[in-house]
Amino acid sequence: MTGEIAKRRFREVVLPHIDDAYGLAKWMSGAGADAEDIVQEAALRALAALETAVPLRPRAWWLSVVRNAALTWMKRNRPNALAFVGDSTDLDSFEIADRSPDPESALIARDEGARVREAIAALPSPLRETLILREFEELDYREIAAATEAPIGTVMSRLSRARAMLQRLLGTRE
Amino acid sequence: MSDDVLSPAQRAQLALDGEFDAANQLAFERDLARSPELAAEYARLLRLRTALREHTPREAAPERLRARLEQMVEIMPRRRRTPWAMAAGVAAAVVLAAGAGIALRTTSSADPALAALVAGYQRAALSGQPIDVASSDRHTVKPWLASRAPLGAEAPDLADAGYPLVGGRIDIVDRRPVPTLVYRRREHLISVSELPLSEAGDGFATLDGYHIVRWRDRERGYVAISDIDATELTAFTAVFRRVSAG
Repeated sequence: MTGEIAKRRFREVVLPHIDDAYGLAKWMSGAGADAEDIVQEAALRALAALETAVPLRPRAWWLSVVRNAALTWMKRNRPNALAFVGDSTDLDSFEIADRSPDPESALIARDEGARVREAIAALPSPLRETLILREFEELDYREIAAATEAPIGTVMSRLSRARAMLQRLLGTRE
Repeated sequence: MSDDVLSPAQRAQLALDGEFDAANQLAFERDLARSPELAAEYARLLRLRTALREHTPREAAPERLRARLEQMVEIMPRRRRTPWAMAAGVAAAVVLAAGAGIALRTTSSADPALAALVAGYQRAALSGQPIDVASSDRHTVKPWLASRAPLGAEAPDLADAGYPLVGGRIDIVDRRPVPTLVYRRREHLISVSELPLSEAGDGFATLDGYHIVRWRDRERGYVAISDIDATELTAFTAVFRRVSAG
């Protein structure tokens, strides 16, 4: 039985940020239906945790719960998509095929949105989640470090690598 | 983070992400004007950010997901629910109203005026019609109340403090009309009734799960009633007293 206090905290911490949670879950899982399951699972975890926890930064805390729920969910349901989660120390050895558009295909009008989404999806998971927490969820370095359980220096280098990769994939780095 | 150990690319990224303190941000902006290399790196990062944000519009969560999450915390004790939600179940409301009546009779011997005002609050909340005159304009509410009750009701504007005026109603205490203002705090209602000084009280009380704060000024007594937290109600009355005194 959930206590009144937990419910009230849930209303204050979780309910105002459902869209953000859904967006994060969708980026991490790649599909809307999966994202719904993930957010629901995260909400149950949050409700249980809020019995005792009083998050100092409620939105960042809630998003970190969603992020963890997404990882668990992916591990259980889409294990192949998570090749790079967990031990990410040798990310530097990771290379992606150069997919910058050749001059001719650049002439073909393409859906920029699809191109950007594909590029983000092509990033290794740790880089992708760091980028998404910064660019779309607008957490600061400290919050990202807490959410992803990584040192701030790692957050910075992941962001930098994610951005460099995207610039190459999108051809914005001349 | 000291500047001299950071590469231009790292500095551009920290600036882009708003992670510099004021002094380092100033230094960065100064160098930006002087170093083409730094300026180019910063421009590239800005271009990427624009591309990312422009082409990936924020998506709203599906309504059914929102509904499911709200459902998790929906079953609340009666007094925590909004008056608007209560209006939904007529049968339930009748049963609850009857229960409230019994409870009131047992406590009414303590202070009939208080019990009557709480009953007014409950009835108004249960009916889903908490007010007799609906207006957020104090210049409409005040004359309406003043024309029906013996006291000149002040209706301080507390919207800036987070308590918009919803309207006013007339409560009946000991067969006499009492002017009551109704404010809103989030989904909760707060009523403030005015009493003659002879019936004024002071301090904090709880009746049937509703919180009550009483105070007085030179001319009138006031009774604030709500289902919000005691702390929040006290904060409200502090604002009310400050604004009406000013």
